[in-house]
Amino acid sequence: MKRRYRITPEGRQQPTDAEIARYRDPKRLLYNYTRAVQRPQKPLYRDPKAFLFLLLIVLLAYLISEEQRKPDAPAPAPAENAPRTPSGG
Amino acid sequence: MTPGEEEHQMIMAAKAEPARFAPLYELYFGDIYRFLLRRALDPDLTADLTQQSFLKAMLGLARYEPRGLPFRAWLYRIALNEVRMHWRKKKEVLIDLSYREVQGLSEEMGLEMDEQEMQRLARAMGGLDAEKARLIELRYMDGLSFAELGQVLGIGEEAAKMRTHRVLGRLREQLVPRR
Repeated sequence: MKRRYRITPEGRQQPTDAEIARYRDPKRLLYNYTRAVQRPQKPLYRDPKAFLFLLLIVLLAYLISEEQRKPDAPAPAPAENAPRTPSGG
Repeated sequence: MTPGEEEHQMIMAAKAEPARFAPLYELYFGDIYRFLLRRALDPDLTADLTQQSFLKAMLGLARYEPRGLPFRAWLYRIALNEVRMHWRKKKEVLIDLSYREVQGLSEEMGLEMDEQEMQRLARAMGGLDAEKARLIELRYMDGLSFAELGQVLGIGEEAAKMRTHRVLGRLREQLVPRR
Protein backbone atom coordinates (compact mmCIF):
# COMPACT_ATOMS: atom_id res chain seq x y z
CA MET A 1 0.00 0.00 0.00
CA LYS A 2 1.33 3.37 -1.03
CA ARG A 3 1.10 6.49 1.10
CA ARG A 4 0.49 9.86 -0.51
CA TYR A 5 0.77 13.09 1.42
CA ARG A 6 -0.91 16.38 0.76
CA ILE A 7 0.45 19.34 2.71
CA THR A 8 -1.64 22.50 2.61
CA PRO A 9 -1.64 25.57 4.88
CA GLU A 10 -4.88 24.55 6.57
CA GLY A 11 -4.80 20.77 6.11
CA ARG A 12 -8.13 19.09 6.53
CA GLN A 13 -10.75 20.70 8.71
CA GLN A 14 -10.17 19.87 12.37
CA PRO A 15 -13.18 18.81 14.40
CA THR A 16 -14.03 20.85 17.47
CA ASP A 17 -14.18 19.28 20.93
CA ALA A 18 -17.98 19.49 20.77
CA GLU A 19 -18.02 17.60 17.45
CA ILE A 20 -15.80 14.87 18.88
CA ALA A 21 -17.92 14.65 22.01
CA ARG A 22 -20.92 13.78 19.80
CA TYR A 23 -19.24 10.49 18.93
CA ARG A 24 -18.37 9.60 22.51
CA ASP A 25 -20.66 6.88 23.78
CA PRO A 26 -19.44 5.03 26.89
CA LYS A 27 -22.74 3.18 27.25
CA ARG A 28 -22.40 1.61 23.81
CA LEU A 29 -18.80 0.69 24.59
CA LEU A 30 -19.83 -1.08 27.80
CA TYR A 31 -22.71 -2.80 25.98
CA ASN A 32 -20.35 -4.05 23.23
CA TYR A 33 -17.84 -5.17 25.84
CA THR A 34 -20.51 -7.10 27.76
CA ARG A 35 -21.67 -8.78 24.55
CA ALA A 36 -18.10 -9.70 23.66
CA VAL A 37 -17.26 -11.32 26.98
CA GLN A 38 -20.65 -12.79 27.84
CA ARG A 39 -21.10 -16.53 27.43
CA PRO A 40 -24.08 -17.53 25.28
CA GLN A 41 -27.27 -17.41 27.35
CA LYS A 42 -28.57 -20.76 26.11
CA PRO A 43 -26.42 -23.85 26.57
CA LEU A 44 -25.56 -25.54 23.28
CA TYR A 45 -27.64 -28.65 23.96
CA ARG A 46 -30.78 -26.50 24.38
CA ASP A 47 -30.45 -25.10 20.88
CA PRO A 48 -32.21 -27.58 18.52
CA LYS A 49 -29.78 -27.03 15.64
CA ALA A 50 -26.70 -27.28 17.85
CA PHE A 51 -28.22 -30.33 19.55
CA LEU A 52 -28.73 -32.13 16.21
CA PHE A 53 -25.20 -31.20 15.16
CA LEU A 54 -23.73 -32.54 18.41
CA LEU A 55 -25.84 -35.71 18.07
CA LEU A 56 -24.55 -36.22 14.53
CA ILE A 57 -20.94 -35.86 15.69
CA VAL A 58 -21.48 -38.36 18.54
CA LEU A 59 -23.17 -40.80 16.16
CA LEU A 60 -20.37 -40.53 13.63
CA ALA A 61 -17.75 -41.03 16.33
CA TYR A 62 -19.63 -44.12 17.55
CA LEU A 63 -19.90 -45.60 14.05
CA ILE A 64 -16.22 -45.00 13.34
CA SER A 65 -15.15 -46.59 16.62
CA GLU A 66 -17.42 -49.61 15.99
CA GLU A 67 -16.00 -49.99 12.50
CA GLN A 68 -12.46 -49.98 13.85
CA ARG A 69 -13.28 -52.47 16.62
CA LYS A 70 -14.47 -55.17 14.17
CA PRO A 71 -11.91 -58.03 13.80
CA ASP A 72 -10.41 -58.39 10.39
CA ALA A 73 -12.41 -60.81 8.22
CA PRO A 74 -10.53 -64.11 7.68
CA ALA A 75 -8.98 -64.52 4.29
CA PRO A 76 -11.02 -66.89 2.10
CA ALA A 77 -9.62 -70.44 2.11
CA PRO A 78 -8.41 -71.74 -1.23
CA ALA A 79 -11.24 -73.61 -2.88
CA GLU A 80 -10.65 -77.32 -3.46
CA ASN A 81 -13.06 -77.71 -6.33
CA ALA A 82 -11.79 -74.81 -8.20
CA PRO A 83 -12.53 -75.16 -11.88
CA ARG A 84 -9.54 -76.46 -13.69
CA THR A 85 -8.36 -74.76 -16.67
CA PRO A 86 -8.27 -77.01 -19.67
CA SER A 87 -4.71 -78.09 -20.21
CA GLY A 88 -3.50 -78.39 -23.73
CA GLY A 89 -1.94 -81.69 -25.06
CA MET B 1 -1.72 13.01 43.51
CA THR B 2 0.28 13.29 40.26
CA PRO B 3 -1.48 12.74 36.90
CA GLY B 4 0.52 9.52 36.50
CA GLU B 5 -0.68 8.17 39.83
CA GLU B 6 -4.22 9.21 39.03
CA GLU B 7 -4.04 7.39 35.70
CA HIS B 8 -2.60 4.31 37.41
CA GLN B 9 -5.53 4.29 39.84
CA MET B 10 -8.00 4.58 36.97
CA ILE B 11 -6.36 1.63 35.21
CA MET B 12 -6.43 -0.51 38.35
CA ALA B 13 -10.10 0.36 38.91
CA ALA B 14 -10.98 -0.53 35.32
CA LYS B 15 -9.08 -3.83 35.60
CA ALA B 16 -11.13 -4.71 38.68
CA GLU B 17 -14.45 -3.55 37.27
CA PRO B 18 -14.93 -3.00 33.49
CA ALA B 19 -17.71 -0.45 34.07
CA ARG B 20 -15.04 1.80 35.58
CA PHE B 21 -13.21 2.02 32.26
CA ALA B 22 -15.41 5.05 31.45
CA PRO B 23 -13.06 7.69 32.98
CA LEU B 24 -10.16 6.40 30.83
CA TYR B 25 -12.44 6.42 27.79
CA GLU B 26 -13.55 9.99 28.52
CA LEU B 27 -9.97 11.10 29.08
CA TYR B 28 -8.44 9.66 25.91
CA PHE B 29 -11.34 9.61 23.45
CA GLY B 30 -10.35 12.96 21.91
CA ASP B 31 -6.68 12.00 21.50
CA ILE B 32 -7.47 8.66 19.87
CA TYR B 33 -10.17 10.18 17.66
CA ARG B 34 -7.78 12.85 16.34
CA PHE B 35 -5.01 10.28 15.91
CA LEU B 36 -7.30 8.11 13.78
CA LEU B 37 -8.86 11.00 11.88
CA ARG B 38 -5.40 11.96 10.56
CA ARG B 39 -5.33 8.56 8.87
CA ALA B 40 -8.95 7.62 8.16
CA LEU B 41 -10.08 11.13 7.12
CA ASP B 42 -13.82 10.36 7.33
CA PRO B 43 -15.37 11.47 10.67
CA ASP B 44 -17.96 8.67 10.90
CA LEU B 45 -15.47 5.97 9.97
CA THR B 46 -13.04 7.47 12.50
CA ALA B 47 -15.73 7.28 15.19
CA ASP B 48 -16.22 3.57 14.43
CA LEU B 49 -12.48 2.88 14.49
CA THR B 50 -12.15 4.79 17.76
CA GLN B 51 -14.97 2.82 19.36
CA GLN B 52 -13.43 -0.43 18.11
CA SER B 53 -10.01 0.56 19.47
CA PHE B 54 -11.44 1.25 22.92
CA LEU B 55 -13.33 -2.04 22.86
CA LYS B 56 -10.06 -3.87 22.08
CA ALA B 57 -8.37 -1.91 24.88
CA MET B 58 -11.09 -2.94 27.34
CA LEU B 59 -10.83 -6.57 26.27
CA GLY B 60 -7.05 -6.54 26.58
CA LEU B 61 -6.77 -4.43 29.71
CA ALA B 62 -6.12 -7.45 31.94
CA ARG B 63 -2.87 -8.04 30.01
CA TYR B 64 -1.76 -4.41 30.16
CA GLU B 65 1.21 -3.80 32.41
CA PRO B 66 2.17 -0.22 33.14
CA ARG B 67 5.95 0.04 32.89
CA GLY B 68 6.22 3.72 33.60
CA LEU B 69 5.04 4.49 30.07
CA PRO B 70 1.89 6.45 29.37
CA PHE B 71 -1.34 4.55 28.86
CA ARG B 72 -2.00 6.79 25.86
CA ALA B 73 0.83 5.13 23.92
CA TRP B 74 -0.71 1.70 24.50
CA LEU B 75 -4.00 3.04 23.15
CA TYR B 76 -2.18 4.49 20.12
CA ARG B 77 -0.72 1.09 19.42
CA ILE B 78 -4.18 -0.51 19.41
CA ALA B 79 -5.57 2.33 17.27
CA LEU B 80 -2.72 1.97 14.80
CA ASN B 81 -3.50 -1.72 14.41
CA GLU B 82 -7.14 -0.87 13.77
CA VAL B 83 -6.25 1.61 11.05
CA ARG B 84 -3.84 -0.89 9.48
CA MET B 85 -6.63 -3.46 9.36
CA HIS B 86 -8.80 -0.86 7.67
CA TRP B 87 -6.06 0.00 5.16
CA ARG B 88 -5.28 -3.63 4.37
CA LYS B 89 -7.29 -3.74 1.13
CA LYS B 90 -6.33 -0.28 -0.09
CA LYS B 91 -3.69 0.29 -2.73
CA GLU B 92 -3.06 3.88 -1.79
CA VAL B 93 -3.93 6.12 1.14
CA LEU B 94 -3.95 9.90 1.20
CA ILE B 95 -2.78 11.66 4.34
CA ASP B 96 -3.83 15.27 4.56
CA LEU B 97 -1.55 17.47 6.63
CA SER B 98 -1.45 21.13 7.57
CA TYR B 99 1.66 23.30 7.68
CA ARG B 100 1.32 23.32 11.46
CA GLU B 101 1.49 19.51 11.59
CA VAL B 102 4.68 19.34 9.56
CA GLN B 103 6.34 22.38 11.13
CA GLY B 104 8.62 20.34 13.39
CA LEU B 105 9.69 18.10 10.52
CA SER B 106 10.25 21.07 8.17
CA GLU B 107 12.48 22.73 10.75
CA GLU B 108 14.42 19.52 11.17
CA MET B 109 14.89 19.36 7.39
CA GLY B 110 15.70 23.07 7.10
CA LEU B 111 12.79 23.75 4.77
CA GLU B 112 10.84 26.96 4.28
CA MET B 113 7.11 26.77 4.93
CA ASP B 114 6.09 27.57 1.38
CA GLU B 115 4.11 25.66 -1.22
CA GLN B 116 7.06 24.49 -3.30
CA GLU B 117 9.05 23.21 -0.33
CA MET B 118 5.98 21.52 1.17
CA GLN B 119 5.32 19.73 -2.11
CA ARG B 120 8.90 18.46 -2.11
CA LEU B 121 8.48 17.29 1.47
CA ALA B 122 5.19 15.53 0.61
CA ARG B 123 6.89 13.76 -2.32
CA ALA B 124 9.88 12.73 -0.23
CA MET B 125 7.61 11.38 2.52
CA GLY B 126 5.57 9.51 -0.07
CA GLY B 127 8.78 7.80 -1.19
CA LEU B 128 9.38 6.25 2.24
CA ASP B 129 8.30 2.70 2.89
CA ALA B 130 5.41 2.11 5.31
CA GLU B 131 7.55 1.41 8.36
CA LYS B 132 9.69 4.53 7.95
CA ALA B 133 6.70 6.72 7.12
CA ARG B 134 4.95 5.47 10.26
CA LEU B 135 7.90 6.55 12.40
CA ILE B 136 7.84 10.06 10.96
CA GLU B 137 4.08 10.36 11.31
CA LEU B 138 4.07 9.23 14.93
CA ARG B 139 6.98 11.44 15.91
CA TYR B 140 6.17 14.64 14.02
CA MET B 141 2.47 14.59 13.19
CA ASP B 142 1.20 12.93 16.35
CA GLY B 143 3.91 14.46 18.53
CA LEU B 144 4.88 11.29 20.41
CA SER B 145 7.96 11.20 22.60
CA PHE B 146 10.63 8.60 21.78
CA ALA B 147 9.49 6.54 24.78
CA GLU B 148 5.89 6.57 23.50
CA LEU B 149 7.08 5.88 19.97
CA GLY B 150 8.98 2.86 21.26
CA GLN B 151 5.94 1.57 23.08
CA VAL B 152 3.68 2.00 20.04
CA LEU B 153 6.11 0.18 17.77
CA GLY B 154 7.10 -2.43 20.34
CA ILE B 155 10.76 -1.39 20.45
CA GLY B 156 12.92 0.35 23.05
CA GLU B 157 13.26 4.11 23.41
CA GLU B 158 16.85 4.11 22.15
CA ALA B 159 15.93 2.00 19.13
CA ALA B 160 13.08 4.40 18.35
CA LYS B 161 15.47 7.34 18.53
CA MET B 162 18.03 5.65 16.33
CA ARG B 163 15.52 4.57 13.70
CA THR B 164 13.97 8.04 13.58
CA HIS B 165 17.37 9.65 13.01
CA ARG B 166 18.08 7.15 10.27
CA VAL B 167 14.79 7.97 8.53
CA LEU B 168 15.45 11.69 8.89
CA GLY B 169 18.81 11.14 7.23
CA ARG B 170 17.09 9.32 4.39
CA LEU B 171 14.57 12.14 3.98
CA ARG B 172 17.36 14.72 4.01
CA GLU B 173 19.15 12.83 1.23
CA GLN B 174 16.03 12.96 -0.89
CA LEU B 175 15.36 16.62 -0.19
CA VAL B 176 18.87 17.98 -0.67
CA PRO B 177 19.87 17.72 -4.30
CA ARG B 178 23.17 15.89 -4.75
CA ARG B 179 26.01 17.84 -6.32
